[in-house]
Amino acid sequence: MIRIDGLSKAYGGFVAVRDLSLTVEAGEVYALLGANGAGKTTALRCLATLLRPTSGTARIAGYDTVEQPLEVRRRLGFLAASMGLYERLTARELLRYFAALQGLEGAGAEARIAEVVETFGIEPFADRLCGRLSTGQRQRVSIARAVVHDPPALVLDEPTLGLDVLSGEAIYRFIDSARSRGRAVLFSTHQMSEVELLADRVGIIAGGRLVAEGTVEELVGRTGERNLARAFLRIVEAA
Amino acid sequence: MNARVAVRVLAKELRETLRDRRTLMMMVVIPVFLYPVLFVLMEQLALLGQRRLEEEPARVAVVGGAPEAAAFLDADSVLRVVAVRASPERAVADEAVDAVVVFAPPAGEGETGHARIVFDDTRDRSRYARDVLDRRLEGWGDTLLARRLAERGLPAGFAEPLAVAGTSVATAEQKGGYALGRFLPLILILMTVLGAFYPAIDLAAGEKERGTLETLLTAPVPARDIVAGKFAAVAVIAFAAAVLNLGSMLLTFQSGVFRFGEAASLSFSLPLSAVGVVLAVLVPLAVLFAALFLGIAVRSQSFKEAQSALTPVYILSFLPALLATMPGIAFTPGLALVPVAGVAFLFRGLLSGDAPLAASVVALASTVVYAGLALGFAARSFGREEVLFGSGSGAAPAGSFLERVRGWRTAGRGVPLPAESLAFVAAVGLAYFYLGGALQARLLERGLLASEWLLLALPAVAFAALGPYDVRRTLALRPVGPRALGAALLVVAGGIPLGWAIAWLQALFIPVPRELFGVLEKLLTAGDLRRLIWLLFLVALTPAVCEELVFRGVLLQGLSREMRMWRAVGTTALIFGAFHLSFETAIRFLPTAWVGLLVGYVVWHTRSLFAGMLMHFVNNALAVVVVSTPALRSRLVTPEGEPSWLLVAVAPLLLFAGLRLLPRRTAEPLDAAPGGSLTPA
Repeated sequence: MIRIDGLSKAYGGFVAVRDLSLTVEAGEVYALLGANGAGKTTALRCLATLLRPTSGTARIAGYDTVEQPLEVRRRLGFLAASMGLYERLTARELLRYFAALQGLEGAGAEARIAEVVETFGIEPFADRLCGRLSTGQRQRVSIARAVVHDPPALVLDEPTLGLDVLSGEAIYRFIDSARSRGRAVLFSTHQMSEVELLADRVGIIAGGRLVAEGTVEELVGRTGERNLARAFLRIVEAA
Repeated sequence: MNARVAVRVLAKELRETLRDRRTLMMMVVIPVFLYPVLFVLMEQLALLGQRRLEEEPARVAVVGGAPEAAAFLDADSVLRVVAVRASPERAVADEAVDAVVVFAPPAGEGETGHARIVFDDTRDRSRYARDVLDRRLEGWGDTLLARRLAERGLPAGFAEPLAVAGTSVATAEQKGGYALGRFLPLILILMTVLGAFYPAIDLAAGEKERGTLETLLTAPVPARDIVAGKFAAVAVIAFAAAVLNLGSMLLTFQSGVFRFGEAASLSFSLPLSAVGVVLAVLVPLAVLFAALFLGIAVRSQSFKEAQSALTPVYILSFLPALLATMPGIAFTPGLALVPVAGVAFLFRGLLSGDAPLAASVVALASTVVYAGLALGFAARSFGREEVLFGSGSGAAPAGSFLERVRGWRTAGRGVPLPAESLAFVAAVGLAYFYLGGALQARLLERGLLASEWLLLALPAVAFAALGPYDVRRTLALRPVGPRALGAALLVVAGGIPLGWAIAWLQALFIPVPRELFGVLEKLLTAGDLRRLIWLLFLVALTPAVCEELVFRGVLLQGLSREMRMWRAVGTTALIFGAFHLSFETAIRFLPTAWVGLLVGYVVWHTRSLFAGMLMHFVNNALAVVVVSTPALRSRLVTPEGEPSWLLVAVAPLLLFAGLRLLPRRTAEPLDAAPGGSLTPA
């Protein structure tokens, strides 16, 4: 469902991502682990059609991000920490706007909006302006925005960054249910507990390269460490 | 294009804008409430001031003259004659009295007597006293005249064989339209510009700053549909702002709260058809500003950055409108072509009831064309990765301005920052303008020589050598190969005739001050060889060295640190052109900037100031030689300044060959250092 092949992205002389390849199947949750500046965000932005790869390809449901960006965006829910909300729209208006841009209008759109409002517990603040929401509330609206068109592929760049336990929990539950509904989920994070809780497979990225890949157990076993955090450190230091 | 998406975007932007207090203030509150309040307040204050002046009689003193004259003045209730001991000037200056009338010693029988009013032009009361005295003394003069006529038994009309009175055929409406036509176009255009200003920033750079643009671009709609919607929103807001202003202003004038109009027998009303045309013209104007501003704002990364990028554009785009407020400038099809000015004239014509058809159509059509061009520009700005996400990283540029400064300092000696270069050139420019001007006025040619070397070359070298900079890099003092020099010569050889063509084209629009050029020509004409050599040294070699050190040295090198090539070279050329401006020589700006553009381009590519010096020298030396050699001159340009078109036709070939021959700019090893990495390589 999500497929990256030999992807590289350079800014002038600086290479942020080098020859990255990975795939995420439908019904699978894949966690991308890496230190700040390792290249996670750049790789995910290439997937989201926001950046053009210098070489290599990225595909969502078989559509190339460069050749058919609009087809990709129809099938992808993308969320990044840097993404903002329109402060002078209410949460519901914002969802309605993005649903419309996704081609959803009328009763179908309203039903779908009601669904995500319910899923992420937005109802209590659905008619408040986004500018007045707390960080956790904003993040829940953001992810609801990203999935309002019920895409088969989800790419979430640090979806729980700066969230309290309650808001984080809503997102864990959502990722879990997305897997059971056959969605492919690719997310990046710093939190080992999240990875252990959610991920079917883990990729570790360092210096723009994928340096290790496998299930949590495989990675821990391969390094002979006690837990994923220590295994991650060992792998990144060796890279 | 998908209209559904554009309409969606438009509706959402309008909804958000209507919830924004800042924009609402600008659009609704200010025009609808402020105008009436402001006008009424101004009127009341003016009336109040007038009343206060009239409340108390003006205190005046009388020196000399017949006692009955003083008695005549005192009889008027608005004057009170008081005695002063000090001199009239002293008394007025000390505010002991408001004015003093000084009568000259009595003239002989039948002669003119003289009186002088001493007053203070900077004191309201004193000026008022002078006005009152003027009128009263005129009355006294009439009294004297009547007395003389009576003594000789002549009728009162004897001394006034002709009484003149004027009758204007203009109706009150026409007079009102004329007054309205003077300033209303300016306000209408200003309001359209202001109306587009904040929304354009907010919808483009603001959206980027808040991170919502990224969100928006993950939606499956093409960027051009989004830009269409956003642009429509800005245009609608700008249009609405202008319409609200127009309506509010007309209502204020017509409602009668404004009484000055009645007093001057003006009537402010607009025929409905004129209102229709004004609205129709406002549409392309709003489109023009919306697209222009949006295209610029979208290239900025933040609200602040967009604001500083747009402010000069905003002022420049508004300036042409001032033309329409000047008396004596007629609305011609040529003027109608000037962006914004054409619309301003059209508004003026519509309001005063005489808009020539041809010019009006040209103004409307050209504005539509400009709006279309601006729209293309805006669409191109959108949908480019580096425009949308800055350098492409998607994040804000690393580090604040201060951090960048610090990083550069610790990275060792380098090239001045753009701000430092600009500050240096501003200081040098001021010194050259004032000190240099004084030197040249006093010492003539030697003054010119001194100001070039002492006020340009010396400061440039001192700045580069004494500041924390690498002298060689700051002044671009690098060796240059024969190929680059050859290319530089070709470029300047091709550029000069094109410069003449520019000057000639410009002369079709702006009158050339012939007398001034006569003087300049005489200065540049060498009678003998000695004079020729001196002139070549003075006006060719000296500026080539001194001005290059400042402009293509400190300025261009500093700007190139952080700007792309065209922006750095273009900015340098504009400043170079402005440096050659004076009150009489506005027409030198374009040709000089053109030369600056070519020299800057070559220096940027060769990284060598010597190439620039050579070009500058050739350019100036050629002027001396051509002016001094009538035979050569008559072949190149007509006395009217029309260049030989054969030469102009060949010039692009030379220019093109030079540009092709020009070596590409190569990266410098030093540029890889931190701070230097910002220089485009």
